[in-house]
Amino acid sequence: MILALALVISVLFGCGAFLLLKRDLIRMAGGIILISNAANLFIVSAGLSRGREPIYPLPAGERISDPVVQALVLTAIVIGFGTVAVLLGMIYRTYTARLAKAVDEGDETGRTPMSMPPEDRVAD
Amino acid sequence: MPEEFRVLAPLVVAALGTAAVAVLGAVRPRLAPPLAVATAALALSATLLMPAGGQVDLPWAPTWGLRLTFAADGLARLYALLATGVGLAVLTYAAGYMPLHAAHEGYPLSRTVRLYSLILLFMTAMLGLVLAQDLIVLIIFWDLTAITSYYLIGYEREQEASRRAALTALLVTGISAILLILAGVLLYTRFGTAQLPDILAQVQAGPFVTATGALIAVAALAKSAQVPLHFWLPQAMVAPTPVSAYLHSAAMVAAGVFLLGRVHPLLALSPGLQNVLLAGGFASMAIGGVLALAQREIKRLLAYSTIAQYGYVVVMLSLGAVEGAAYYILAHALIKSALFMSAGAVTEATGETDLDRLGGLARPLPLLAVGSGLAAAGLAALPLTMGFFKDEVFFAAASERGGLVSVLAVAGAVLSFAYTWRFWGGIFTGRLRSQVQRIPATLTLPVLVLGLLVMLGGIVPDPAASLAAAAGESMAERATPLELAYHLDLHAPTLMAVITWVLGIVAVLTAPRWTAAPRVVARIGERYGPDRGMFMGLVRLTTFSRRSRAFLEVRNLQWRIATVLVAAALVVGATIVLAPPWPTFRVGRLPTSDWPLFLFLLLAALSALVATRSAGRLILVLALSAVGYSLAAVFTFIGAPDVALVALLIETMMTLLLLAVLGLLPIGLARAPAEHEPHPGRRRAVGFITTAFVFVICWGVLSWPAPDAVMARAHLELAPAAHAADVVTAILADFRGLDTLGEITVIAIALLGALTFFVSRRSA
Repeated sequence: MILALALVISVLFGCGAFLLLKRDLIRMAGGIILISNAANLFIVSAGLSRGREPIYPLPAGERISDPVVQALVLTAIVIGFGTVAVLLGMIYRTYTARLAKAVDEGDETGRTPMSMPPEDRVAD
Repeated sequence: MPEEFRVLAPLVVAALGTAAVAVLGAVRPRLAPPLAVATAALALSATLLMPAGGQVDLPWAPTWGLRLTFAADGLARLYALLATGVGLAVLTYAAGYMPLHAAHEGYPLSRTVRLYSLILLFMTAMLGLVLAQDLIVLIIFWDLTAITSYYLIGYEREQEASRRAALTALLVTGISAILLILAGVLLYTRFGTAQLPDILAQVQAGPFVTATGALIAVAALAKSAQVPLHFWLPQAMVAPTPVSAYLHSAAMVAAGVFLLGRVHPLLALSPGLQNVLLAGGFASMAIGGVLALAQREIKRLLAYSTIAQYGYVVVMLSLGAVEGAAYYILAHALIKSALFMSAGAVTEATGETDLDRLGGLARPLPLLAVGSGLAAAGLAALPLTMGFFKDEVFFAAASERGGLVSVLAVAGAVLSFAYTWRFWGGIFTGRLRSQVQRIPATLTLPVLVLGLLVMLGGIVPDPAASLAAAAGESMAERATPLELAYHLDLHAPTLMAVITWVLGIVAVLTAPRWTAAPRVVARIGERYGPDRGMFMGLVRLTTFSRRSRAFLEVRNLQWRIATVLVAAALVVGATIVLAPPWPTFRVGRLPTSDWPLFLFLLLAALSALVATRSAGRLILVLALSAVGYSLAAVFTFIGAPDVALVALLIETMMTLLLLAVLGLLPIGLARAPAEHEPHPGRRRAVGFITTAFVFVICWGVLSWPAPDAVMARAHLELAPAAHAADVVTAILADFRGLDTLGEITVIAIALLGALTFFVSRRSA
């Protein structure tokens, strides 16, 4: 199980890094989401014990999952979401601002989005 | 307030005055000059009232043995008196000078406020420096003087020459200050204390003392503008005259020889170092003196003269004549600040700075001529001035050492005599060559007062001598009596003085025959001197920096990220190669009860791989949310239902948000742009490398056998006391409630930020 967890964490992280290296901003955001997922999984797997959920009444004689890492990960998931929300907001602004600029001035060939076929109306 | 706190009074007054002038001056620029003068006067009286030998000792960082120790010993009193006394004269002068200067340069009066507060800040730094007994405190104030001088020299910040001069001064005095810090650290680690008296009591002759002494000496010589680190001083003459009159006569350059005096017992242990200092002092006397003769600009002449004069002081300190050095510093500070101020007054009256276009000003400006003349007489060491005694103590020290040193001393003094006449005679005698405007009395008065003080000190030598003797005592840690009187018998110093005058008069009379010689020296210096060396060094450094940046810097954001990842992988790889940790890796068991967990992990990994392969953005978003939901399931099976619930919620919101962004973006954007990304292979390689090193780290960490879960058990046992059945809830809401509060705040701010991005008006 240890090997499987390590493998999955590293695959998530590696896929995230790969996406992060793309030019497309949405994909970069996806990369960050994957990397934070990898981090969350790592923290949970690093718990000192694994077993039943730490909720009273505790079953006698059985191992209980480490509640400390769970509290940490809870925080991490929520904060991660906040970060991604800001990031997506920035990405949105970047695209719309660039598009607005293109509408005003056209791209280097002088075309404006309105004069382009829909597939080409890409701000990037 | 305890009695001994009077030691700190000048420092506190100057510091408060700095702030008051800066704040009130910003509101009412007219208030700044009187306030600054009042502060200086108050600081001067506080200095006079300082209890001799008083000491303040406050614990600062006791565990490191650092204490805020300030003491008013003889040396500190002498320098504090100079810093506040000359400061008072200079600030009075500045009150008259700066409005005229501002009118010439064409900027509003409000801009001059900065000068007053900076001069007061400099005074604060000087006072702190001379009072400090703790090496760390001393170093801090040492650096404060360097930083303040940067702003003062670069006061005319619109002028390129001014900015360059300020930077040169900062580089020379600032880089050398690092050597002082190094010496401080060495002494601190060796003796376990930063208290200077304790250190000086423990030092023993040896290579260690020679090395630290050399480091300190370089820092001090750079500050005192000694050859070959002298070139910043003439450049600094672009500063307004009050700055030159203060920093370059009594304060900044005096700080260097002050430091030499402060650590004198340490330097005295190394005869080799003393000889180097002796040579450096004579070199400064020679080069400063000759180059002063080559200058046509009056302030630059005085700057080279300052280099030469501090050469005298360094010579005396290296000869062990500490009381003489102290007296010399006192006399020179009064003389030189008077001369700088008269140079500024002359320039304000005539608009000229060039000796070739000045002359005959004794008639239109008689009071200035008298004040300046008294100071010049002092510089030329004529009788009935403090200058006579300053050369007397110098000759006495030199003649004790022997023939060669005496001859060099006389030669240096002849140079002083010659350039002093060149300065005063060139300005005030001869034919009147320029228009003269009226100048306010505040420009003449400080010069006259200082000139009269120089004369008074020559007639009644005792007060100055006792000040210098006390300063010498605290430098050498032995009684150093200094008795000054006019001798009519022919002992060596008197004889040397007479020879100096005769040769000096000869030099002045034959001046037309040799004037070309110093100019040749100056030209050689410009071409091959240290000034040029430093300039070329800076140019090379800049080129090197630009080239290495072009070579090393990755400008593309993506590849910069890749650099970080690959570098991290290299570190991990190196660790594995150098220290194979194979035995610590464990595969772990996979019981049948863990199969669901395993399957969901597999699903998460596969979804992540799909996300990397997705052609369209919509598939990307769906793949991402598949990863998130799989992980939520993983959390359920790992025994973390709270995390699973939150992950489920957050993943839903994340998916909605991503979809919303795709929907909001203009048509065509939701579909992927055509793949026009270069180097797909490189990107894939980085992805594999990253996966590999993260895998090694994670496997290594997770294989670590878990210790007895004490921490977890403590939380488990405490939860009922918090009236919570769910332990994770208890941790979040109770044990770490404050953390959770902080987290909620962060989320609120982040979401507000995101909201502004989404709803703010489009920039059309």
